[in-house]
Amino acid sequence: MTNTMILSWVTFLYFGAFVFYLFRLVFRKEFWGKAAYYTILGGLGAHTLGLLLRWKESYAVGFGHAPLSNFYESLIFFAWALVLLYVIVEWRIKNRSLGVFVLPAAFLLMAFASLAPGISDRIQPLVPALQSNWLTSHVVTCFMGYAAFTVAFAIGIMYFLRNIPIFGFIPEGDILDELLYQHAVLGFVFLTLGIMTGSVWAHYAWGSYWSWDPKETWSLITWLIYAVMLHARYVRGWKGKRMALLAIIGFAAVLFTYLGVNYLPGLHSYLQS
Amino acid sequence: MTKQKNPFRSFFASVYLTITLLVFTVVLSIVGTFIPQQEAAREFTQGIPTGLASFLQTMQAFDVFHSVWFFLLMLLLFLNLIVCSLNRWPLTWKQFRGEPWPGEEGLFRGLSPERIFLCNEDVGTVTGRVEGLLSRKYGKIGRNKGDEDALIICGERGRYSRFAVYAVHLSLLLLIAGALAGAFWGWEGYVNIGEGETADAIDLKGGKGIQKLPFTIRCDKFLVAFYENGAPKTFRSDLTLLKDGKTLFQGPLLVNHPISLEGVRVYQASYGSSPDGRAALAFSRGGGEEKMVKVGPGESFSLPEKAGTLRIARLEENLMKMGPAVKIIVHSGEGEVSFWVFQHIDKIREMNPGVTEQVPMFNPALFKPYIFVLKGIEERHYTGLQISRDPGTPLVAAAAVLMMAGLIGTFFSSHRRIWIKIQRAGERTKISVAARTNKHRAVLDREVRRLTEQIKISLETGST
Repeated sequence: MTNTMILSWVTFLYFGAFVFYLFRLVFRKEFWGKAAYYTILGGLGAHTLGLLLRWKESYAVGFGHAPLSNFYESLIFFAWALVLLYVIVEWRIKNRSLGVFVLPAAFLLMAFASLAPGISDRIQPLVPALQSNWLTSHVVTCFMGYAAFTVAFAIGIMYFLRNIPIFGFIPEGDILDELLYQHAVLGFVFLTLGIMTGSVWAHYAWGSYWSWDPKETWSLITWLIYAVMLHARYVRGWKGKRMALLAIIGFAAVLFTYLGVNYLPGLHSYLQS
Repeated sequence: MTKQKNPFRSFFASVYLTITLLVFTVVLSIVGTFIPQQEAAREFTQGIPTGLASFLQTMQAFDVFHSVWFFLLMLLLFLNLIVCSLNRWPLTWKQFRGEPWPGEEGLFRGLSPERIFLCNEDVGTVTGRVEGLLSRKYGKIGRNKGDEDALIICGERGRYSRFAVYAVHLSLLLLIAGALAGAFWGWEGYVNIGEGETADAIDLKGGKGIQKLPFTIRCDKFLVAFYENGAPKTFRSDLTLLKDGKTLFQGPLLVNHPISLEGVRVYQASYGSSPDGRAALAFSRGGGEEKMVKVGPGESFSLPEKAGTLRIARLEENLMKMGPAVKIIVHSGEGEVSFWVFQHIDKIREMNPGVTEQVPMFNPALFKPYIFVLKGIEERHYTGLQISRDPGTPLVAAAAVLMMAGLIGTFFSSHRRIWIKIQRAGERTKISVAARTNKHRAVLDREVRRLTEQIKISLETGST
């Protein structure tokens, strides 16, 4: 299948971009920063092409659904959303120092999807519960949220590293603080939308808008953690380290919602293939 | 903050309380995902010491989300939210009304130098240009007299965003109300209906008894289809919903497409096949004319010419992985003969040559001179329906819409005000730009920077 081949090449492009970002720091030449950025753009283009091709191929094999239906496809889409968001951030803030921290996440997601045993990259047909128009909106909003939280997490890590001499390239605290907050907000809004679309879907598929299924419950836990974070900032004026710490805790909850929950019994068992 | 010393009010007005309650909710939710809940708990309790199990039972750890603890937390959050909102409301209302007016003195004192500049145009020209530029982005603008014959032009945006956070909190109250309405007046249960059968009551979830339905459901047919890889493709029940002998609904029920009728929703939840299918059995006398009968397990019929009585002893959908088969017993004057008749006997013979000779039990021609052929087993399916009523759903849906609107207002909009003072300074005109916002300072700063640039350009080049 062409799409999986393209997507596995994209993995290397992202890795390459990460290496270029490292070169930029070591050699202190902006050339490497540009090289990294254009490599990412190329990677994102190919990634998008791969996703579209996969969509098209799913019609060719007679199933016909958006590439958002199993674990492999969710990893690929997660990485796509993350890189898309990163490209926008770099273009917006005109600062390349985030790349070293965000790109590894994208690369790992892609590599995990392509290489981990037990993850099938085949296009599978949709079981009856997944045959819904809500599938696309639910998965897209959730993973856009996850991607924003991943960026916030990376910024949180940067916040703690910034005083170590070799990490002198990290922007100053206030800029990080503002960026972290913006991404937490973005993630929060997308996660809210993701929970809502999921709720509507559950209302049609499972007979109840909320069933306290472990994934639902963990998405609520994640939502509450970020809600605490935003309240602490708005009402109590929390900044800096505390926000960075909350971004890291929140991301741990995101990871558990995405991956850990699969080891608990529940209705969201589509990812186990 | 109010200065009242009402202890109830000051306790519930605290944001620390909110954060504490949210953290408790998180902890309780984590407990609820790691300890098996409800039905799953029964199996779990058998694997742990009795003392622990009864302790957890007493603590309501097996139904965390319907426990006293959870209910209490929600109640406290409910009160916390209401008191916090009430406490903050007067201030918000004032701010919405544009108060407190910082005063000209307060507003223009300590402005950064790039927000004050001079130009050669006269006050009238400047006022016109500035008003034009400000109204582009800020729409309707106001004009006030300032001190010392100064003119103050003001613009305002996003005034209503002051209420956005209340919308979010109101949506949470609605959500809780909707959930409570569902818990008190809603129900949920399951029923299995065999093809051709009807049901008018269901078993409530968690063994809470039986719920009568406002209509009768008849399952006309159940269909299951699979993909080539064995994954299910379609579950479909053809249902007829009847009330007082009248048909309310007739048609297919599919997963993701529930039927909603009289406030009750019917979902396709599961299926199965009943053990009482019927075998389509064909037989002939020594390869002569073939006759067909349909018989269920335990049923019998007489073979023509009084040759004997045939009874279906067993009916297997997949016997020894060789496909559908029936065990028949023929009772005749010469005694009893029993043997299996396979549907795919030709294939079985092909794979195991001579099998019918070696294993007479598998020989469909064991009762001579008759030859039996199993044409198929008509499976009788039953459909598993989930049926629920939740009068809280509209409230929850309204809450979702309100929350989204509120979140967008809270995070992506702010109440921004800009004042531009224009006054004569000797032969020239002095322009000062002041601005206030309730959040997103950076956004406003950018806006002011852009505006001052535009004003400068327009006054120097003389065009708008």
